[in-house]
Amino acid sequence: MRFTALLARALALLMMLACAVILRPDEARAQSALQPLLQKYQADLAKPSRRTIGPVIADLLASDHPGMADFLRKWEAREVYLRPADGLFFYAEDAGDSLRLIDIDSGAAVAEVGSREVDQIRPNAGVRRELAAALVPYELNAPEPARRAEALEAITRSADASQIAPLRGSIEGETDPALKTRKERLLTLLIAQFGATKSERLDAIAGLGGDTSIEARSVLNQLTATRDGVAETLPDDINLARVLEVGTDLTEAEAHDRLVAADLAPPRQTATDLRDVLAQHIVDGTVGGVPLHQLNTTAARARAYEALEQAGTVPPRAAPDEVAQAVAAHVFYAEYLQPDPQITQAAEDALTATSRTLGLYQTADLVLDGLSLASIFFLAAIGLAITFGVMGVINMAHGEFIMMGAYTGYVVQLFIPDYTVSLLIALPLAFAVTFGAGVAMERLVIRHLYTRPLETLLATFGISIALQQLAKNIFGTQARPLTAPDWLGGAITLNDIVSISTIRVAIFVLALIFLALLLYILKRTRLGLEVRAVTQNPGMGASMGINPDRINMLTFGLGSGIAGIAGVAIGLYAQVTSEMGANYIVQSFMTVVVGGVGNVWGTLAGASLIGFLQKGIEWFNPSNTLAAQTYMVLFVILFIQFRPKGIVALKGRAAGD
Amino acid sequence: MSKPDITPRRSFLAENPSVMWFLGLLGLFTLGVTVLAEGFGMALLSTSMVKILGMTLCLCLIAVAMDVVWGYCGILSLGHFAFFGLGGYAIGMWLMYARTQGIVVDSLANAPIPPTQGEINDAIATQIFGVVGSNELPLIWAFADSLAMQLLFVVLVPGLLALVFGWLAFRSRVTGVYLSILTQAMTLALSLYLFQNDTGLRGNNGLSGLQNIPGLLHLPQSTIALWFFWASAAALGLGYLFFAWLISGKFGSVVRAIRDNETRVRFLGYHVESYKLVIFTLTAVVSGLAGALYYPQAGIINPAEIAPIASIYLAVWVAIGGRGRLYGAVIGAAVVSLASSWFTGGGAPDIDLGFYTINWTDWWLVLLGLGFVAVTLFFPRGIGGLFDMLVRKP
Amino acid sequence: MTTLLEVSGVSVTFDGFRAINNLSIQVAEPELRAVIGPNGAGKTTFMDIVTGKTRPDEGRVVWGEKNISLLGMSESAIARAGIGRKFQKPTVFEDQTVRENLRLALKNKRGPLDVLLFRRSAEGAARIEELAREIGLADDLPRRAGDLSHGQKQWLEIGMLLAQDPRLLLVDEPAAGMTPAEREHTTDILKRAAQTRAVVVIEHDMEFVRRLGCKVTVLHEGSVLAEGSLDHVTQNKEVIDVYLGR
Repeated sequence: MRFTALLARALALLMMLACAVILRPDEARAQSALQPLLQKYQADLAKPSRRTIGPVIADLLASDHPGMADFLRKWEAREVYLRPADGLFFYAEDAGDSLRLIDIDSGAAVAEVGSREVDQIRPNAGVRRELAAALVPYELNAPEPARRAEALEAITRSADASQIAPLRGSIEGETDPALKTRKERLLTLLIAQFGATKSERLDAIAGLGGDTSIEARSVLNQLTATRDGVAETLPDDINLARVLEVGTDLTEAEAHDRLVAADLAPPRQTATDLRDVLAQHIVDGTVGGVPLHQLNTTAARARAYEALEQAGTVPPRAAPDEVAQAVAAHVFYAEYLQPDPQITQAAEDALTATSRTLGLYQTADLVLDGLSLASIFFLAAIGLAITFGVMGVINMAHGEFIMMGAYTGYVVQLFIPDYTVSLLIALPLAFAVTFGAGVAMERLVIRHLYTRPLETLLATFGISIALQQLAKNIFGTQARPLTAPDWLGGAITLNDIVSISTIRVAIFVLALIFLALLLYILKRTRLGLEVRAVTQNPGMGASMGINPDRINMLTFGLGSGIAGIAGVAIGLYAQVTSEMGANYIVQSFMTVVVGGVGNVWGTLAGASLIGFLQKGIEWFNPSNTLAAQTYMVLFVILFIQFRPKGIVALKGRAAGD
Repeated sequence: MSKPDITPRRSFLAENPSVMWFLGLLGLFTLGVTVLAEGFGMALLSTSMVKILGMTLCLCLIAVAMDVVWGYCGILSLGHFAFFGLGGYAIGMWLMYARTQGIVVDSLANAPIPPTQGEINDAIATQIFGVVGSNELPLIWAFADSLAMQLLFVVLVPGLLALVFGWLAFRSRVTGVYLSILTQAMTLALSLYLFQNDTGLRGNNGLSGLQNIPGLLHLPQSTIALWFFWASAAALGLGYLFFAWLISGKFGSVVRAIRDNETRVRFLGYHVESYKLVIFTLTAVVSGLAGALYYPQAGIINPAEIAPIASIYLAVWVAIGGRGRLYGAVIGAAVVSLASSWFTGGGAPDIDLGFYTINWTDWWLVLLGLGFVAVTLFFPRGIGGLFDMLVRKP
Repeated sequence: MTTLLEVSGVSVTFDGFRAINNLSIQVAEPELRAVIGPNGAGKTTFMDIVTGKTRPDEGRVVWGEKNISLLGMSESAIARAGIGRKFQKPTVFEDQTVRENLRLALKNKRGPLDVLLFRRSAEGAARIEELAREIGLADDLPRRAGDLSHGQKQWLEIGMLLAQDPRLLLVDEPAAGMTPAEREHTTDILKRAAQTRAVVVIEHDMEFVRRLGCKVTVLHEGSVLAEGSLDHVTQNKEVIDVYLGR
């Protein structure tokens, strides 16, 4: 670490020296002319206003003075002072109580003055914007990469044709490869929009195809922007995007609204309007000759209005059939704002290419999302799967063990403010706490109910509600934060579409670690051997000298302990509440049931299936996660029809009945 | 050597004295409440109390159904409260629609121009579905204006759901804990579905104002509460009688045999799945009916009522009361649900320990949870088991 | 004697282990047949296949005069077709009385509605009494089946089998755990039953098989090793190898 910092510093020093060497000849040439040049515009510079400053800046820059851009930048940064005594401009630096004035041309300190003797020039926001825009071409070649990057962003924000030339000019001398790429891309964007010749633009547009950056897409979208139109016959002097079919592309009502907006048809009358109009023309208990009590049908109301219309009391209206006629008599279309069909066609082609790439990235993003959800389900369910597989016990309090783990993490954070340290302590502590709780529960309750699995389910449910309420009584009902350390706070971003928060990556890694750990314990240790023996045939296991009591106790503790760790992991990105366990329990059950009992790989398969499927369904209907869960559960119910024993099933006689 | 048992079958009630006892006690209880109620007799029982008692009777009825399906047939269903809720929703749709219709017609009566049917329908739809941002009546409300149709749905919807779900589950030989989880998944799917705003049952708002019975608005709530109480008592009595009859004879013998050894029953030539399906569906229908009586007394139904936890509580009641005996289920449901409302309703006095005050609204669930564990461990026969001890003593 | 059950060319594999290998057995009606064989010979799996509990990978199982295939039928349908099975471990319904157990098994319609509308009849009651006498439980009809002794449970289960009135009885180790007197009684019951129907007995105990005095089929590694009278098969070289070890 120390060594790298030293190296970086040395490098920075070297670069500064190099810059100084390169810049020296320029400075030497510039010694003469800046201050007099400034004096020409002294009044405008001293009291700049947004309206008048434009030409002044242009004139100043036109002088081509090498120090000019530097001056303007300092001016923008409010580092320029005017001494009213002689009307000269100075730079200044802080010297304790006073200011040290520095000559603009020579760069030498000339005087130390009190802050009252000089006026700081403060250009307002509008002027500074003008300045920044005018400086962009100069900034593109600025020695510091950060300033060049800033200039590129400024161009992106407000692009126009005038920036093409300086941008193109700056590419040649660009030393930073990343910035060079950005400059080239930006240039393509600019040419696509403002290029001088059509062929140049077409080339640039074609080059944007497949570029998924937001800027590229927005440029293409701008080029293909359309405006709606309506006419009796399709005009042939427009750049037509497409003709809209009434009924498929837009509803009849929408089509009619467009006609009304274009003054091509009288407005429609809603049922409410009709009723209100009729109500205003009640005469002696009748409207247009129709008695009031008959006006409770649409037909009678239409008759009454016709009568009024013929009498001239009310304006004509578009009756439903007239609406249909008017709509049928017109053609609705969308035309490109961009008049040149070649350009719009090229842009559409480029967009198609982009959307293909986009689809690819979105799929990748979806896969990442599914993966992280799957690892959460895996962590939440694996403990359950172990206890269910080995002991045939459904632990309804499993969710509460997850909750206990999360609260353990929260309490640890109360005592240890450093989030990294507290997390490192919380993980093993959560394991220890829930391991203890699991062993206690096994010893006190479950041990006595082995022959009655359904009652175990209910008894553990009793423990679950007691634990949940207990947590509520201790920690209150509001959610408690479990803050992740900063290094877990960000996100890993591949591009504008594919990104994943670091915390989810961490959970994925945690799930992988546990997968490996469990596989190791089950396949390579004595405990694992005994556990597998008991899983496959408890009676035989016992007769081989395996103490099933010990195995059950350890297995239950292990399953519960993993739940505790899962709790810490889940708490880091979701909130810690007394009900958080209940939210995961049903999903965990489904994971176990779908995956198949008593097998780590089965749980992994179940978690993956459920995680990916849930994300997949959410993708089809992103607004409604409830619906996604509903379909998910229905899927599980149907899945059980076809594979009652789960994806990875024990086969043969060992599976029993 | 005993003589062949060829005596003609005695009457069902004579063979099952406990049913007689139960019906007698239920009758006495109904009579007592009626005499004490505000709406009829001495006004010693408030209307809200009568409603609570009536609702408790409905809970007892679904507990009896649960006992049949779990205690006798061995299917630990964690989905019967879903059927209960569906029954409530079916009747609630009519109650809400008819009541809203009355309000809408009244409010439009003074309009200068009489409303069209379309306007009335739109106004009703807006009134009911405004909360979920819709002004159209969903398709499933097509028959909401007909009491007869909705009553049919009270039976049909839970019955059909149970039939389809049960057929799928039993056909694939899902049993035991797996089956419980599967029924829980069904309940979860249903409640998640109902929680959505766009599924036509007002999302998490649920249906409300169900205590106002259209056509009976001129009657005071105290009278209506009593009527519903009577109806609930009658339903419990009939339901109890029906299930007691169902499980007493050879059918009950088959069902209990399925609970104890499904495979053996299959090799005796019985189509086990059909029997399970019959029991599952019948109990679901009765649960739906219980729900249809419960929610007009509760006044409101929302998807939270259907959440899986409610069905688990149902199992808890039956277990505490003592499963495998119908009166046990009734006792369990009555005791636990009444105790629950007493403790959480602030009825129970706080206990001051000096350093800490036990507030029962906070601690009741802890007590219930641990109490339930204790019952499972030490009194697997539940409260009903205590009767056995009394009877067996000479 | 006509062929009642014909199993031909049946094989079953569990996870790569061939439990039944190209097995062919024919059972006539009426007939008493003993199936013997060392552990893992596939005796119980053979019963599982006939009763529909296990589906074979290949082969045919054909039943009755009409040559119906049993392979597509459910366990309960096979039982209704006339095949009764007694398990190795006595499985009676312990919570119910002996009378109720027998009534469950009694040949009657098995559909839920039929059972629901079932009415007790004098003939039914008489048949139960008769069965109870035959299995020596006439005085125990009102007793809980769970309170019976082990041997009595075995008899009750045989009684339930007879109550089903099946054409083929599959009996898995009926004499396990019985006293010599009880064995004798069991032998009598089985012999009597075999006068009118087919009875297949799986047994380890050679003495018991000898007493049955019937045709014996020896299974080994999932297929038939030898068939014939007990004396005939016990002189077979291969059988001796299998039983005494090579």
